[in-house]
Amino acid sequence: MMRVIDLLKRINDGVALMAGLSLLACVTLILVEIVVRQLGMPLGGTDEISGYVMAITTSWGVAYALTERAHVRIDLLRTKCLPVGKALMDCVAILALAGTAITVAWRGWPVLSKTLATGAKANTALETPLWIPQVLWWSGWVWFAVSAILIAAASLLLLYQRRYDDVNEIAGMGDEL
Amino acid sequence: MIKFTTFGLLFFLALSIPVGIVLFLLAFGIDTFYSPFPLMRGLGQVVWSSSNSATLIAIPFFVLLGEILVRCGVATRTYAALNKWVSWLPGGLIHANIATATLFSATSGSSVATAATVATVAMPQAEKLNYDPRLFSGAIAAGGTLGILIPPSINLIVYGFLTESSIPQLFLAGLLPGILMALGFMLATVILCMIKPSLGGPRQLYSISEKLSSLGDLLPILGLFGVIVGTIYAGWATPTEAAAVGVAMALVIAAQQRALNMELLLQSLRGAIRTTSMVMLVVVGAYVLNYVLTAAGVSRALQTLLRGLDMTPLATLFVIILIYIVLGFFIETLSLMVATIPIIVPIIVDLGYDKIWFGILMIILVEMALITPPVGLNLYVVQSARKSGKFSDVMVGCIPYALIMLLMVGMLIVVPQLALYLPSTL
Amino acid sequence: AEELSVVGSWSGLPLHKQYEAPFWTDKVSKATDGEITATLTTHDQMGIGGGDVFRMLGDGVFDVGMTVADYAVSDSVALESLDVPLLAMDADTAKKMVEAARPMVDEIYEKVFNAKVLGIAPYPPQVVFCNAEIKSLNDLKGKKIRASGRMTAKLLDALGAESVNVSFGEVSGALQRGVVDCAVTGAGSGYSAGWWEVSTHLLPIPLGGWDPVVTAVNMDKWKSLSATAQEKLQTAVTTELEAPAWESAQGALQNDIACLTGEGECKGGESHKMVWVKATDADTKMARDVLIKDVLPDWAKRAGGDWAQRWNDSVGKVVGVEIPK
Ligand code: NA
Ligand code: NA
Repeated sequence: MMRVIDLLKRINDGVALMAGLSLLACVTLILVEIVVRQLGMPLGGTDEISGYVMAITTSWGVAYALTERAHVRIDLLRTKCLPVGKALMDCVAILALAGTAITVAWRGWPVLSKTLATGAKANTALETPLWIPQVLWWSGWVWFAVSAILIAAASLLLLYQRRYDDVNEIAGMGDEL
Repeated sequence: MIKFTTFGLLFFLALSIPVGIVLFLLAFGIDTFYSPFPLMRGLGQVVWSSSNSATLIAIPFFVLLGEILVRCGVATRTYAALNKWVSWLPGGLIHANIATATLFSATSGSSVATAATVATVAMPQAEKLNYDPRLFSGAIAAGGTLGILIPPSINLIVYGFLTESSIPQLFLAGLLPGILMALGFMLATVILCMIKPSLGGPRQLYSISEKLSSLGDLLPILGLFGVIVGTIYAGWATPTEAAAVGVAMALVIAAQQRALNMELLLQSLRGAIRTTSMVMLVVVGAYVLNYVLTAAGVSRALQTLLRGLDMTPLATLFVIILIYIVLGFFIETLSLMVATIPIIVPIIVDLGYDKIWFGILMIILVEMALITPPVGLNLYVVQSARKSGKFSDVMVGCIPYALIMLLMVGMLIVVPQLALYLPSTL
Repeated sequence: AEELSVVGSWSGLPLHKQYEAPFWTDKVSKATDGEITATLTTHDQMGIGGGDVFRMLGDGVFDVGMTVADYAVSDSVALESLDVPLLAMDADTAKKMVEAARPMVDEIYEKVFNAKVLGIAPYPPQVVFCNAEIKSLNDLKGKKIRASGRMTAKLLDALGAESVNVSFGEVSGALQRGVVDCAVTGAGSGYSAGWWEVSTHLLPIPLGGWDPVVTAVNMDKWKSLSATAQEKLQTAVTTELEAPAWESAQGALQNDIACLTGEGECKGGESHKMVWVKATDADTKMARDVLIKDVLPDWAKRAGGDWAQRWNDSVGKVVGVEIPK
């Protein structure tokens, strides 16, 4: 089980790097836009593309933050608990997260399916076919749901085996930073 | 419904469910039990539209910029240089903490990142020179909060995004109060250390030539601030674009420090994605919750309640400030902002107050929330950099600075021009 | 009685305050003898994007939605033709164009948004605010202009200007700092947002069209109503929401111009001193030529099907314009 989660971590590390590189690409695009705008030949559309990059980076990045245990949690009560209590709270938290992730992915599908049905294009001069950014965006949330389900299943199993330290390792709280 | 929301919020948070997820859960709950609309059918659309935003991409850019600066060693040098300039004052190095925090605030959009940066470089010194840990760490935690008041600021971007006010104007409005507050922190330190010298450490005297030769180490940060703010106000770039310019400039600085390599770049990217996604889960969750709250009429109910108190504008303002102080003890700052802005700001505007001015006022209250227990992220950041010692040291050390923040809130109410003068010259 | 959940257009603008709000909170129940009542909010108060309103309406999140048709052109290129700029210089003509386009709009809403159109009311026309000296329409060439809506953006580009996307809240600062030279928006919205402070010249021709606001009801909800309720609701919208909004449209524009330029009587507000740039007939003709030669054929191609022919036979007839094949 821990091996599956390790693999998940490695995949999500790759995801983070891809997302990070797309940020850098976006930085480059914006720099080019600023320069050519000063020369009086604007590209136009960088705002629109930045928006898509943000939506996609967010939807894929949440899975990375999950395996890194970076999502903010309030640990007032948790710190006062014994290891078994901590492990229980971690399981509750990851189950809540998995449920939410599944809901968002499920409710996100109609957005994409409507776009596919109407052939929607952005309401701008660029006329980006919206299915392209939305496929990338929606698949990010689906991946978040998949990651969450895997971690939740692993945590419950580890809880059952009373391996509380391991629960903390995959679903506990990282450093505050 | 208001009860459900409040208790649900506290209950789920206490369970240590991630803050962003708590906001989603509350939204689901209100939709199921109270809403006349089948709101969840629109969930996907709200999630897509709220994250598809060119304004918000400034967040990862500013985080990335900060990551690069810390990893390339600029922070350490800046601290050493500022130390030479300010630690002759009563309180010694504590002033270097505040000055470094102020300077880094001018390039960082986040208070947590600012505090973390300063804590990393300052803590080793505190142990070496045997400082009283309380004021020393309090100054870092409080000084770090300036990160969101002095531009650039992620929180001001979010405020501008949610209230449809101009982000460059908000940035300018934060500058003067930010500098004043930094000076206030230093003044409080001087007074305390004059009354009780043991609170501070040894005053350190450096020669003029030492001071002058250290100036070079301040150039990267000052240059970066100049570029970010300059491109915005020269009309060359929007705040988002300026953030991108800042990232490029940070890479240039790292190269110039001979620290730019693949490892630094990849680590910085990881850090940026980590922090951004963490922040964005909260922002998107808050957006969804707001959509549900408004559609189900909670916001209107709260507004009616506040208006029904039938108080003078000033009294209502005081009630609102009190609400923020109390909520600030328990709620993480970004969630605090996004959850309250859609309800509070319309009331404030109705009362005849300025939206930009209130943005700054709210940011100062949010800064206070960062250093008030039990939920005060900056306290934890500083404590985790200390590695030993009592958590309460940091808490107690923050008290004088929290009082300065309250004082600043009062000054803003009496003299709104402190925030509004600079934007009006734009 | 049936209680409809209604999501209105921008809560701060006169169309909502003067017509939508009184209609849904009060008049609709009287006009339908209490058969239909409504709870009203607006898309901005609800925190959803204008472009999401009709998508959500189709999904049944609420029963009635009202928003600018231009926001919905993402999902239907054909819908752009409801608001072609520069063809209607006064409210009367704009109204006739909208009436002629109505069968097309009805069909689009039914197919794309699963909704039944109840009425179409105008926002004041979308005019040009500039923080740069312009003497004529021709001077827009080379200027950076904030556009709203896709066809307006295309027209500006075709006129040799550069259309840029700036959110409404940023426009004021962008004008001031020269990030954009001009911005297109409703004369009234520009007036209440204080654009007269940051711009000097006003070109009051409908370069951004009239921004028609469509009121539509979810089709499943519509079919669930009794025939008499349907008839009463439709009549009420037509006579008590749509008609009065149109009646005041022309007067509102003239008042807004007077308030912005200080020329003429400004009712209900302070007047300011923007320079009123009068577009010459030659100017307007030139822009219309570009529209007819470039922008509309481009639209016809993007929309595909027989939309261009249908537009020629309906709206085109009203304004005497034919999209060349
Ligand atoms: Na800052
Ligand atoms: Na707090």
